[in-house]
Amino acid sequence: MMRGWRYWRLKTKLLFLTLFVSTLGIALVCASLIFVENRNYKKQLESELHVIAGILAEQSAAALVFEDNEQLTSIVSSLERINTIQQACVYNEQGNVMTSLVAIDEQPCPSVDQHLEVGFIDDVYRLLMPVTLDSETVGRLFLSSHLEVLRGHIRTFVWVAIGIGSAILLALVFLALRLQRIVSGPILTLSATAERIAMNHDYSIRAPVSGTDELGRLGSTFNEMIGTIQQQNFRILESRDNLERVVDARTSELSMANRELEAFSYSVSHDLRQPLRAIEGFAQALEEDCAEQLDDTGKDYLRRIRAASVRMASLIDGLLILSRVSRQPMENHPIDLSQVLREITDELKDINDHPPSEIHIQQGIQVVGDSRMLRIAFQNLLGNAWKYSSREEKRVIEVSARPEGRTIAIEIRDNGVGFDMRYIDKLFVAFNRLHTPSEFGGTGIGLATVYRVIRRHHGTISATSEVGKGASFVVKLPVFADQR
Amino acid sequence: MDIHSILVVEDNPDDQVLAVRALNSASENSPVIVLEDGQQALDFLFGDDARCSSSNLNSIGVVLLDVKLPKVSGLEVLKSIRSSPLTDWLPVVMLTSSDEPADLLEAYRLGANSFITKQINYREFTEQMTLLARYWLHVNKVPKTGSVPSSG
Repeated sequence: MMRGWRYWRLKTKLLFLTLFVSTLGIALVCASLIFVENRNYKKQLESELHVIAGILAEQSAAALVFEDNEQLTSIVSSLERINTIQQACVYNEQGNVMTSLVAIDEQPCPSVDQHLEVGFIDDVYRLLMPVTLDSETVGRLFLSSHLEVLRGHIRTFVWVAIGIGSAILLALVFLALRLQRIVSGPILTLSATAERIAMNHDYSIRAPVSGTDELGRLGSTFNEMIGTIQQQNFRILESRDNLERVVDARTSELSMANRELEAFSYSVSHDLRQPLRAIEGFAQALEEDCAEQLDDTGKDYLRRIRAASVRMASLIDGLLILSRVSRQPMENHPIDLSQVLREITDELKDINDHPPSEIHIQQGIQVVGDSRMLRIAFQNLLGNAWKYSSREEKRVIEVSARPEGRTIAIEIRDNGVGFDMRYIDKLFVAFNRLHTPSEFGGTGIGLATVYRVIRRHHGTISATSEVGKGASFVVKLPVFADQR
Repeated sequence: MDIHSILVVEDNPDDQVLAVRALNSASENSPVIVLEDGQQALDFLFGDDARCSSSNLNSIGVVLLDVKLPKVSGLEVLKSIRSSPLTDWLPVVMLTSSDEPADLLEAYRLGANSFITKQINYREFTEQMTLLARYWLHVNKVPKTGSVPSSG
């Protein structure tokens, strides 16, 4: 029972304690009173009986000497009026019963020669007194008194004690309840208020406070605390709203900038190409229509004009792709990269002569990402491997993948000219090239685009190379739990 | 065989010249009508333009429509062509300098018959125009229209 003590309600605890202590107290008081009363009554009974026996012995001494039975019977029968006396026997010197007073259903007088127990025996008090005449024993007197009166007495006492105890207990319960209302009442109200606040998260609720005692102060301190929380909450909400407004403003600014950028690149793609087409077209027309008026130098200039415009066009295309992979929303789908790589190499084979003697693409490379962007990235990487190995006798391009922690590492390796590791810093920066246009054509935008795509996929790209021995690009893309 | 004309809607004078040159070299007999912006195209097709009579409209074999045009854009012109029973049958080939995917999708949604990115290399551009003229003027058949019977 006590194990649950700490889970009891405060009210129950207080009531239980009060009742327990007071019941114990009352019971102790009653018990000690009964004990004392019992003892006193017994003493009183004893002395009373001794007095009676003394008187009786004195009166019956002469009758015993003269063996006057009549006299003895009359003396003894006078005891009938004393209702505590159960039995009275008078013995002569030889121990024979001379006369007796026996209550109904009582045993006959005990014989005195045998060892007779006297004093309080069970429910009976027995007394044996010698009858003396001139300090000579002439007989004996036996008195037996039942304790029925004592029992009744004590019974009454117990009932009275129970009655008074119950009355006191009732009064105590009443008092305890009243006291509780004073002490635990405010605490219970406070705890109910706290519960309500916690449940509803409504910090505008206040606990009712009465008085300025400790409980009153507890209530007002509690209210102050809730007030502080309310204020702080308000401030937090306010600053959150502010923050949201700022974020909204920034977002709309950003999306406006994005829209502007989109419009910009749209018009770039239209408007920058148009003059280029005119330059290229008219140069061609000039070459065709006015061929006779142009000498070889003139024709060479025209060829250069046209080559420059084609180069410019591929720069514009590269920039547009770079800007597109930077701003386009990302899609995330599982992609069979091996399949994509095979398609890319097929395209490369279509537009280039002399394909590499060996192209190894590992089967079943699975990644998650935006298929268009990843296609652009791997088009560039494979295109580079293709381009920079074009001078080798036996060209080998190899794509392999291996899991590496929480990423998949995809390596594109070629045995081409490679690059000088001293310039690795410039590799992924737009418009930086590690080869001259006369060595290998290119815009310098390809690897910047690859870098951007991989970064948008939360991946990394690194490159290692040795001049003349080839290059290796390692793309690491995050692997998602359900991918494996 | 009917000789159909090619209607070119192109705002840039350079492109006009280059397109006409390429088309002429491709199909010498076909007349090329050049309009400079979207509004002119609408006036030509639906308005009181002197050049446009029902027989003229009937003689158009294909419309080459630039996507990006001043005043009324090429896509808007396409929309108008497709929404009038007088012109909804016309074969329309959209031309563009860019390869903006959004334009491509939108053009086909609006009912373009073809979509071509103009090549910067003029030789390739001429090739495109040759193929285009050959297909739309000689291979393809257009109906003898609708509300106004052709005089033949």
